[in-house]
Amino acid sequence: MKTLAIATNTFREAIRDRILYLILVFAILMIGSSRILSLLTVGAEEKIVKDIGLASISLFGVATAIFVGVGLVFKEIEKRTVYTLVSKPISRSQFILGKYLGLVLVLAVNVAVMTAFFFGVLLAKGWMDLAIGRAIFLIFIELMLVTAIAILFSSFSTPILSSLFTVTFYVIGHLSWGLLLLADKLEGEFGRMVCRVLYRLLPNLDAMNVKGAVVHGIEVPLAQVCAASVYGLSYTAIVLGLAALVFRRRDFL
Amino acid sequence: MRWRRALVAAGLVVAVASASWSWGRMETLRSASPSGAQVLYLPSGKYLKIVSLGFPEVLADLVYIWSIQFYSNYQQTDRFTFLEHIYGNVISELDPKYVDPYLIGALIMSAEAHQDEMALRLLDKGIAANPSEWILSFDAGFLCYDRLHDYTRAALYFEKALVIPGAPKAVKRLRAEMYNKMGDKRSSLGYWREVLEGADTDYIRSVSSEHVHDLTIEVDLETLRHAVEAWRAETGANPADLGALARRRLIDSVPVDPEGNAYLYDRSTGEVSCRSPFKLRRRSAR
Repeated sequence: MKTLAIATNTFREAIRDRILYLILVFAILMIGSSRILSLLTVGAEEKIVKDIGLASISLFGVATAIFVGVGLVFKEIEKRTVYTLVSKPISRSQFILGKYLGLVLVLAVNVAVMTAFFFGVLLAKGWMDLAIGRAIFLIFIELMLVTAIAILFSSFSTPILSSLFTVTFYVIGHLSWGLLLLADKLEGEFGRMVCRVLYRLLPNLDAMNVKGAVVHGIEVPLAQVCAASVYGLSYTAIVLGLAALVFRRRDFL
Repeated sequence: MRWRRALVAAGLVVAVASASWSWGRMETLRSASPSGAQVLYLPSGKYLKIVSLGFPEVLADLVYIWSIQFYSNYQQTDRFTFLEHIYGNVISELDPKYVDPYLIGALIMSAEAHQDEMALRLLDKGIAANPSEWILSFDAGFLCYDRLHDYTRAALYFEKALVIPGAPKAVKRLRAEMYNKMGDKRSSLGYWREVLEGADTDYIRSVSSEHVHDLTIEVDLETLRHAVEAWRAETGANPADLGALARRRLIDSVPVDPEGNAYLYDRSTGEVSCRSPFKLRRRSAR
């Protein structure tokens, strides 16, 4: 209950910060792009609209997760409102989890409304394909993981540094496959081992990226969606556990 | 106060004047630089894929949209310098499954830049990356047929397209005609018979039956002429009639043309001909 109360407050706070205005930008982008593209391109309009729609959902979501996520804990400490909270019978883990769930709720609303707009445009154009739902679902799982990483950094660092760290993790997460390529090129066994260990340790966000496949009509098996979801959620749990551990040791005085 | 306002107004006028002068200067400098210069800075799609951070499809869309604007600007005469790089290295590496740029890129290469082999290289890349897209093999086949008049290559591409589900029936007709143009009349006749058997409209039935009619005559004439030549090589004279060829087993039996008429034979010259007219314009064989 305490966790839920914190989550609800975090959600309200985000709404008051006019986070949902992003949806308006998304709607304009979607409707605008679908009309303008017919003037600029030769064929491929459907593919481009789907690409832009999925990329926008992902990018707007990541921007929200990072820039709201990194300030969540820091703001409480800076405004000293955290004192009133930690003096209450609320554990620090509950505080972190509540903050996290609040932001995930904001992201869920964001993604749901953007998806509704996106599907509306696709329906109007006659390009509706339910397989796109799988890509959006995995985008949401990815956003959950990015939010957890943002909160982890936010629990011990300033918002600017946390943003930098989270963006770095986001970039690394999408390029971790490069470590395997590097391992094949390296001659020394130690170097290869380091690359492989890092590949295992770092978040593999590309595992949740099926945008290209669904746009090209390539089937994304349910088993793949499930495996990627389990991976994303497990990694999220680990990161949140770390955040709670770090925050528990934090001294506010 | 008044002189201050005048000073501000004068400053604004100077700023507007300098901005418009520098704008004009920039435009002059830009038009002086080679039009393809901006393309030089675009690295291969392999590297751009890394920069795209999980959004290579969107980057491919952007480069594709830009390429349409760039290559449709007819004032830039040297716009084709990096054509293969844009479609073959950038867009196709960023999103190998993106079919439209292969087709449009090949069209620009072939029809605008007159680089047919370059277009075929791009289409080959597309075919390798998209084995389930018949349109790419079809496009390559049509390019070989229509522009290069390389019917053997065209037939191979049409064969490739035909084994892919969804390929239209027109590809079968094109394959049959390529064999005819290659000079392989027997194979062409076999393929046209296949088209006739599967014809689902009166138009296709009529066209394919005309092809079968004419090719049957051509194949029969070719068979009979070869047999007469073989007879002449053996005996040093022309056979008395066409039945003699069958009796000596140089042919299985004496054929009649598709309209039931016997083929004409001139014993003095050894010439074989057909009295029934061709339905299509195949004058060379008569």
